[in-house]
Amino acid sequence: MRITVSRNARALLASLLVLSLVAACGGNESQPNVAQVRVGAPTGPNAAVYFMARGYDEDDVLVSASTDVAGSVEFHETTTNDDGTMTMQPLPSFSLPAGGELILEPGGRHLMLIGVDDLEVGDTIDVTLTWQNAGDMTVEAVVVDPADTMGDG
Amino acid sequence: MFANKTTRLLLLLVAVVVLAACRSGTSTGELQGTVLDVPQEKGSFVLTDTEGAPYDFASETEDSLTLLYFGYLECPDICPVHLAQIAEVFDQHSDLAREAKVVFVSVDPDRDTLEEIREFLDNFDSRFVGLTGTHEELAAAQEAVGVPPARIFGEGDEYTVDHAGWVIAYAPDGLSYSIYPFGTRQTQWTNDLQVLAALESE
Repeated sequence: MRITVSRNARALLASLLVLSLVAACGGNESQPNVAQVRVGAPTGPNAAVYFMARGYDEDDVLVSASTDVAGSVEFHETTTNDDGTMTMQPLPSFSLPAGGELILEPGGRHLMLIGVDDLEVGDTIDVTLTWQNAGDMTVEAVVVDPADTMGDG
Repeated sequence: MFANKTTRLLLLLVAVVVLAACRSGTSTGELQGTVLDVPQEKGSFVLTDTEGAPYDFASETEDSLTLLYFGYLECPDICPVHLAQIAEVFDQHSDLAREAKVVFVSVDPDRDTLEEIREFLDNFDSRFVGLTGTHEELAAAQEAVGVPPARIFGEGDEYTVDHAGWVIAYAPDGLSYSIYPFGTRQTQWTNDLQVLAALESE
């Protein structure tokens, strides 16, 4: 009897775990799951948006992005050269492989908001991401202190 | 109380993890940045500060914990992160903030005006010193402190600037023991600024 109960409990736990994982991943397999969308509080004419996107069952490409709070949005990548200097260069798009990840983070890839409005820490802004296959998706980005754009610290 | 062996084991494990986590938060007395094989003497250069006055780096920062960083204002990705991290340490340690000199040098003098550099730094801490100069003066400054010179790419208004991605730290004794590449964690900054501040000149 004890064994049966514990087995049921284990099954229940397992299904709960699966459910929560599905919930965490959005459970939608036809479009990217975009999380941790954040923008560093502007300290100059531009600001950078970072996020993590999880791929779904087909390859996709982020082809453009827009927001009401900036003149334009460019795709950039910061890379470190052999001598330790850092270069920022524009890219035409960011690809998101099926089941893979697209990570935008400081010191790597980011969306650069050109000519951004004044934003305060704690504000939220809408950013529309246009994917080649999944189409338009509007996500909410939280304005954070630049020190907190790195994630855990 | 904890009759079950597994429960006791789990509690022990939790205690160990918590202790380990606490230990990592305290200053270890050792530098966590990128430690140089041979400590470097502080370089000497003169640039213009945001008030328009000449700023003699070596004499203005003598005997002070000094952080030196070369960047530019249209850089939204890595420049603000370094400065915001340092400002956060200062917010929590006012004693450090009073003694330390943070010097930001704009290597983009064609776009960044003195006023804009001041505004940029005020986002972080109004005590941060902002400098710039002519391209020749900037090249001399970068050479004096041993960082590769910034290079400009692109044409017209649409150009980007390659620049050294690290912050140079000088202890109050005038020597640089360590540098801070991009990706330095907040906990590393907090630890190292306290360790370096204690290295007084004799």
